[in-house]
Amino acid sequence: MDVFMTWWETNALTRLFFSFEVMRDSLPVIFKAFPVSILFGVGSFLTAIPGGLLLAFMKMSRRWWLRWPATLYVDVVRGTPLFLQILIVYFGFTLLPWYGDMVRGNPWVKQPFLFGLDFTFYLRGFAVLSLNSAAYTAEILRAGIQSIARGQMEAARSLGMTMPQSMTFVIIPQTIRRILPTLMSEFILIFKDTALLSGVGIAEMTLRAREFAASTYNQSSYVVAAAFYLVLTIPLGRLVSRLEDRLAESEGGSSGKRPPLTAGNIDSEHVVAHSDLIPLNQRRSGVRP
Amino acid sequence: MMTEKQAIIRINNLHKSFGDLEVLRGVDLEVDKGEVVVILGPSGSGKSTLLRCVNRLEESSGGEIWFEDVEVTGRSVDINHVRERIGMVFQQFNLFPHLTVKGNVMLAQQRVLKRQKAEAARIAIEQLTLVGLSDKVDAYPSQLSGGQQQRVAIARSLAMDPHVMLFDEVTSALDPELVRGVLDVMKLLAKGGMTMMVVTHEMGFAREVADRVVFMDEGVIVEQGTPSEVFDHPTSDRTKDFLGHIA
Repeated sequence: MDVFMTWWETNALTRLFFSFEVMRDSLPVIFKAFPVSILFGVGSFLTAIPGGLLLAFMKMSRRWWLRWPATLYVDVVRGTPLFLQILIVYFGFTLLPWYGDMVRGNPWVKQPFLFGLDFTFYLRGFAVLSLNSAAYTAEILRAGIQSIARGQMEAARSLGMTMPQSMTFVIIPQTIRRILPTLMSEFILIFKDTALLSGVGIAEMTLRAREFAASTYNQSSYVVAAAFYLVLTIPLGRLVSRLEDRLAESEGGSSGKRPPLTAGNIDSEHVVAHSDLIPLNQRRSGVRP
Repeated sequence: MMTEKQAIIRINNLHKSFGDLEVLRGVDLEVDKGEVVVILGPSGSGKSTLLRCVNRLEESSGGEIWFEDVEVTGRSVDINHVRERIGMVFQQFNLFPHLTVKGNVMLAQQRVLKRQKAEAARIAIEQLTLVGLSDKVDAYPSQLSGGQQQRVAIARSLAMDPHVMLFDEVTSALDPELVRGVLDVMKLLAKGGMTMMVVTHEMGFAREVADRVVFMDEGVIVEQGTPSEVFDHPTSDRTKDFLGHIA
């Protein structure tokens, strides 16, 4: 055993990336930053949903002055690297004269409540992730809403329900069920993207791992950080697959509750109407620094 | 309102175009209270479009439609209020798949007519019993056959106490053996005095139930009359041709 450990800790490859010693030391430091990453991921994702819904409705609007700004926003945000957006919001905003005045003028803003930094430092990071995710969420929601067969809206409207009522009680509930896997994939993406905030100094897991790596000349802390990301992303990824399977089952064919298919109760309409599933491969292009 | 008969729907010189395609080219039609009007015609003749203009699922391009004392095609009409009183049943059923059968029949009662939950449920069960589905109230649409789904769709409309029912090829998507159950429900409604506009290819139903048969082709009404007039003594060549192909 000792022979093995000595070999492991001296071999160039295992020493550099998988040193038990370094991993053990960096684990508590990175674990402390785990909630920071989760908070940024969950928080920006949850606030992106209402923003995305608003953008989706704007994009579907018949009024050009609602449709155009939303389309422009979504195109610009999805067409530029997130890291670039982070840099602009971080360093750009602080250069605005009134921004500095605001921070200096408000003691409660300046309140150094975490590591001596004003809280807009964190808010900016949170905002840029949320604004970014809203653009992606908007496209997911729009595709989901438009994938609901037109007859659903017609049936709701012909019963005398208003447009907002039809949306709220007929279209949106069906949309949510259908896009849940895609939305969860979006959460996984945004959670991983919190790592980019390390570039502007937010003390989430990747920054802590980087600091540790710099001070030890050893990469093993990165492996620890990777493991913490995987703790969340692998189970969620599995869940997404399970949800996709269940959805395909309940929409396409026989679910457990369904009576066996016989000539008498095959309804071809159901199969046809739901064959227009939204593409689940709507993933952002790999723009990583 | 001022007509001698009690017309509940009056359609005057209705036009409808989809882009360059003129689907309705001046349709005049009155439907009296309690009357069952069956509209026949080859596909593409504009029958479904006519029906969909009545509750304004399609915007007409010209002419006017009156429902009771309201101009449906008018600019300031409260279309939701009109639709409350015009039931519509579709070829593709369009049940709400996320709600149970009872939930389907209750939704608009609660949201549009503001009925209390208990009352809406009572009426839902009443209407579902009428269409012969009292044992399916807690099932989901995907658990039902097409014929059963279509009867739920009828119950869903009936629960709103409509003054008129529009049926848009409601049996066309059904397997032959399921058609009968749906037609039986429609006959029941007709006997009960419901005003109905029915677009269908079921000639037997038209002959037996219709008070008036309207034959449409190329966006106009070619011929109309009692079933025996239209079926047994058609005057227009186009009607003869159409009936010849069907029989």
